[in-house]
Amino acid sequence: MDVSNNRLFRWTKPEWLNNSAVRTVGVYTSGALFSLGFFFLVDAAAFSHSSLNGSNVHVKFVDWIPGICSALGMLVINSIEKSRLHADSFSYSGAGVAWKARFVLFLGFALLAGGLAGSATVMVLKYLMPKYPLPTLYFGIANVIANGLVMLSTFVLWVSQNIEDDYTYNLAL
Amino acid sequence: MAAGLKTIIALSFVLAIGFLLVILSSALWHNFLPLIVVATYVIAPLPNWICSRCANPDDFMDSAGNGIVDFGRFLTGFLVLMGIALPALLAHSGAIEIPAMVMSIIGGLLIYGTIISFSMFFQEQEEF
Repeated sequence: MDVSNNRLFRWTKPEWLNNSAVRTVGVYTSGALFSLGFFFLVDAAAFSHSSLNGSNVHVKFVDWIPGICSALGMLVINSIEKSRLHADSFSYSGAGVAWKARFVLFLGFALLAGGLAGSATVMVLKYLMPKYPLPTLYFGIANVIANGLVMLSTFVLWVSQNIEDDYTYNLAL
Repeated sequence: MAAGLKTIIALSFVLAIGFLLVILSSALWHNFLPLIVVATYVIAPLPNWICSRCANPDDFMDSAGNGIVDFGRFLTGFLVLMGIALPALLAHSGAIEIPAMVMSIIGGLLIYGTIISFSMFFQEQEEF
């Protein structure tokens, strides 16, 4: 069960990452990044319905769909029990648990990437193609920034939870 | 004990300044939207406290309990950044003025810092 024997890459995780304080900071950072992304979406919507918006283009439900996809993807990815991803080498797991976990993980990453791609699509089709000027174009840019931040938040949370696993493992032995 | 008393007095002073800034930011422009920041920062430590009661962090073998703690931390991080992002959002969409935004952000950070320092003091007292 030595991790160093069957690792895939030539480099290892740096030592300072295996620290519970780093893990805590990572989880807080992940929440902050998600909040920042969410409020970029809300900011675009609020600006679109305020009196400052000179154009008659508004943020509709279409603009929210990529954000919803990204948030669902984040939920799916971080709901998976991480130890099940390589469960096939253990005896207690049933048949194909790792396969199922990887499939659900794939769905989660597909939702996340689909959210980012969808936000770019919305920006191009709704705001870039009709050649709107900047205050209107900001709705599209904010959408892309928001989905990128949700993706970053997911990765930070994922890495933090992997730190937790190593930490738990070291102490359990 | 005298040092603890001094810190408590200083903390309450900072808390009063924070509340003053937030109330001023809303009362000066007769627009009471920045008061939401106070609610955000008061709610912010709550998920952490509730979730740390739900799970036992000393139990290293139980991996199911740490998820709740992480979820509480995630929510706290979300709410803390919400306290900064909400006034910026309101100012950007023209609901409040820019000076009101600055005052409510600074006041909110002072209030949250006070809450955090107070909780740290109580934790130190509980451990003995």
